[in-house]
Amino acid sequence: MPPQGEIVQLGIIGVIVLLLLFYGGTMLMSVAISRKKENADDYMTAGNKIGFGVSAASMTATWIWASSMYASVTAGYTYGVSGPIHYGLWGALMILFIYPFGKRIRAVAPRAHTLAEVMYARHGRSSQLMLAGSNVLGSVISLTSNFIAGGAIIAMLSPLNFGHGILIIAAGVLLYTLWSGFRASVLTDFAQVLAMLGAAVIIIPAVFFLAGGPSMFADGVASGNVTPQQESFFSSDAFMNQGAPYIAAVLAYAIGNQTIAQRLFAVREDLIKPTFITATIGYGGTVIGIGMLGVMALYLGVEPMGGDINNLMPQMVGTYLPAALVALAFIMIIGSLSSTADSDLSALSSIVMTDIYGQSVGRKNVNPKLMIFIGRLTMIIATGLALYFATAKFNILDLLVFVGALWGCLVFPVIASFYWKKVTNAAFTISVIAALVVFLPVRFQLIPLTGAWALFVELLAIVGVGVVLGIMAFGFFGLRPAMIIGAVATLAVLPFGFGYLRDFETLSGSLVAYSVSFLVCYLLSVRSSQNFDYSVIKRITGDFDDETPTSDEDVRGDEDPVTANRGTAN
Amino acid sequence: MTALLTTYVLMWPVIVFGVLATIVSGFAKDAKEARDEGRSII
Repeated sequence: MPPQGEIVQLGIIGVIVLLLLFYGGTMLMSVAISRKKENADDYMTAGNKIGFGVSAASMTATWIWASSMYASVTAGYTYGVSGPIHYGLWGALMILFIYPFGKRIRAVAPRAHTLAEVMYARHGRSSQLMLAGSNVLGSVISLTSNFIAGGAIIAMLSPLNFGHGILIIAAGVLLYTLWSGFRASVLTDFAQVLAMLGAAVIIIPAVFFLAGGPSMFADGVASGNVTPQQESFFSSDAFMNQGAPYIAAVLAYAIGNQTIAQRLFAVREDLIKPTFITATIGYGGTVIGIGMLGVMALYLGVEPMGGDINNLMPQMVGTYLPAALVALAFIMIIGSLSSTADSDLSALSSIVMTDIYGQSVGRKNVNPKLMIFIGRLTMIIATGLALYFATAKFNILDLLVFVGALWGCLVFPVIASFYWKKVTNAAFTISVIAALVVFLPVRFQLIPLTGAWALFVELLAIVGVGVVLGIMAFGFFGLRPAMIIGAVATLAVLPFGFGYLRDFETLSGSLVAYSVSFLVCYLLSVRSSQNFDYSVIKRITGDFDDETPTSDEDVRGDEDPVTANRGTAN
Repeated sequence: MTALLTTYVLMWPVIVFGVLATIVSGFAKDAKEARDEGRSII
């Protein structure tokens, strides 16, 4: 039986000292790299030539957010030994699956700042605004979620309340990110990844041995704490309810999330592959490892405090570890939420600087000083909005699901736009809207999944399986193997998909988003006469600040983006 | 089964330690290159 009683508290002085050390240290790092006059392009992409160590640390730190740790622990507690795998492994592999597309995106737009900016060059304003709008929504929600996680952990481990907690976190993150933007975000990610990964290395075995060690497994089974499904490494419950929806959702997050795109544009081009591989293993190891706390809680028969499963991670740490290690775990959580929050702020400022201000006045007419001011103002407004949402008790999970679906609708049109010259602005826009229109009633069960409607949705979801696997295969193996894998996957699911997928509305909703956007985009593009010239993207996207050093291969475009010739009609 | 589950729980910190070492050595290399070239690391 787990020990009964209160969990270790850090106390008000302890928490304030830890936060001062953490945010004071990151602030010092930010000040060390600050310039009296910041460069507008460096404020967004740090000059497109970051080395391996900094970029791998940054990609890892950004992808691991506080919610991923909480969710992995929840998965371990709910689904048993395979739960953390079905959360962390798929999330990790998505970083890997994105890298071949990242190389292509970087090749056609070497000095871009945002993915939406590239979509503007490829298609035009409506496609750009769709991507930029979903990025803004996603980043504000992510920021809110991280503030909530910070407020909750401070409230749990100290006498400070939730409101104090979110204010401290918001002020700390904003202070060190405001002046140098993305440069500060990336450099402080290194310190934050040291804290996160270092803490994970110590905390997981410490809880394991202090909670009873190997004997907890036999004792847990003898006490009837685990079901056969929870004991299995091949749990179908875990796959269908946790793993499969996550495979579909995370592919969308990796494509739609500007924080990932921003690092893609920042890292030195030849280092994209090792950076993404390192981040894949780092994310997987850390998030699955932290999920082991949930598995241990399950075997130990721990009941979440107040019946809230989100309390499980701090509860396990506070129950079994001494105060010094609880402090370490506290820093791990603060590091994970701060690294993602500062990335969200940088992403939001880049979108507003590039896709709203930059594109509205034209690249040649940009005032770099005003541009940076707009970026900083964006960070302040975004922080205020996230604080409002955090206190207004919006349902973050529902909002995240909505943004995830919106990005799911965008995945195929975005990727196809980088490879297929026939995809038009109309095909992009209509396919995304059509996918959303079908997704919403499925995911939120606005129309009961019965009768002909259920069969239609299941047919689309079955096609969606092929689309998701086909996209993944395409990045690594090319078009023909992707088509074969997609077709085989669809045919393999066909016999048992009908009458079965309707019971999994989260999974079906995501799959429908993929299949509808694929079908509409394909059908509207296949007969198109457009023959897009990809060199146009390099000419339209590029530096805003005259003081940004340009490389030999950088083409400084004097072209008006609106009138640029995007290709020829055959 | 106990040995398998123990290994399963404890393998993750080992993997994370390996990644941490890779990132730290990469960062040290980045810092040295920046210092040699007389520029900021970022």
